[in-house]
Amino acid sequence: MKKGKIVMIVTIGIVCFILALVMSMQFKVVQETDITSIETMREAELRSELSNWKQKYEEINEKYEETSKKVQEYKEKKQSDNETSTLLQEELEQINMGLGNTNVQGEGIEITLTDTEDNKIYADNLLIIVNSLRLAGAEAISINEERIVNMTDIVYITEKFVKVNGQRILAPYVIKAIGNQTYLESALLGNGGYVDELKISGYDVKIKKDKNIKILKYNDEISSKYINN
Amino acid sequence: MVFIAIIIGCVLGVILGINAPIISYTYSSYLAIAVIAALDSVFGGITSVLKGNFDMKIFISGFFCNAILSILLTYLGQKLNVDIYLAAIVVFVGRMFTNLTIIRRYYVEKWSNKLKEKYNKKEEVKND
Repeated sequence: MKKGKIVMIVTIGIVCFILALVMSMQFKVVQETDITSIETMREAELRSELSNWKQKYEEINEKYEETSKKVQEYKEKKQSDNETSTLLQEELEQINMGLGNTNVQGEGIEITLTDTEDNKIYADNLLIIVNSLRLAGAEAISINEERIVNMTDIVYITEKFVKVNGQRILAPYVIKAIGNQTYLESALLGNGGYVDELKISGYDVKIKKDKNIKILKYNDEISSKYINN
Repeated sequence: MVFIAIIIGCVLGVILGINAPIISYTYSSYLAIAVIAALDSVFGGITSVLKGNFDMKIFISGFFCNAILSILLTYLGQKLNVDIYLAAIVVFVGRMFTNLTIIRRYYVEKWSNKLKEKYNKKEEVKND
């Protein structure tokens, strides 16, 4: 045999070897590829899967955001509810204080009226003083620890005593009022003030300013039977 | 001798290919293109043998260069997001069909020529 022919035969053998090798490898790959296993999946499939998941993720994220927004809204609502309730609570306290349902304290004045032999103190005197105090902006008033509320009566009974809130009270009468001290005092003592007049007439009236006046609450319950809205 | 070489090469190749480690599905498309190119080269070689202008160097260089070039083109196509491997397959398979047609025609003509010769011989015998 010629040398060239041997070379040719060997070359053809090598070529066939390579061809068969590559083909059988390819057959094997195609046969054994499990499409569900992620390692052997095509890039495109992986990409579409990834985009699928991303889409799902986005949807769920959107939902999550919506829900958290709702939660936020509810929280805010709750907060505002709390605020309203505290506001209402404050208002209630304020109203209770004004109504006389609670003990209160603050700056104000204390007026002591004592009976003398010539000049007895009557309910009218007390009424006028209380009215003057109210005019001067007193926020809470009491006579001998009887709180003056909206339904309070100050009634003349005998020369000995007066009824306030249906309770007998006796001289000396101590009127306590909480409010601006200057206003209260000037309403009684100023030009044409009632206490001045009383003093001129010879009554025994003392006014004392105090930084911390305590006024007790109204003893009875405030109830109504006949009024309706 | 040539046939023995072909058979030995094929058997060795198949045995080694079956025992070879499995390659990723992603790269198997490159391998498929290489196989198609190689097959195209083989059919082209057979055709040139039949035509009588077979050249070993051209065959070998075509065999390897076509395979490698097709792999490179496929890679480029994937990088460019164009399915260049489709064009390669169309070209290679089209050429394979052309070559197969040439081979078929050659053998069919050879066969029919043989038949004709036989017929002519019979006629001659009759005439004699």
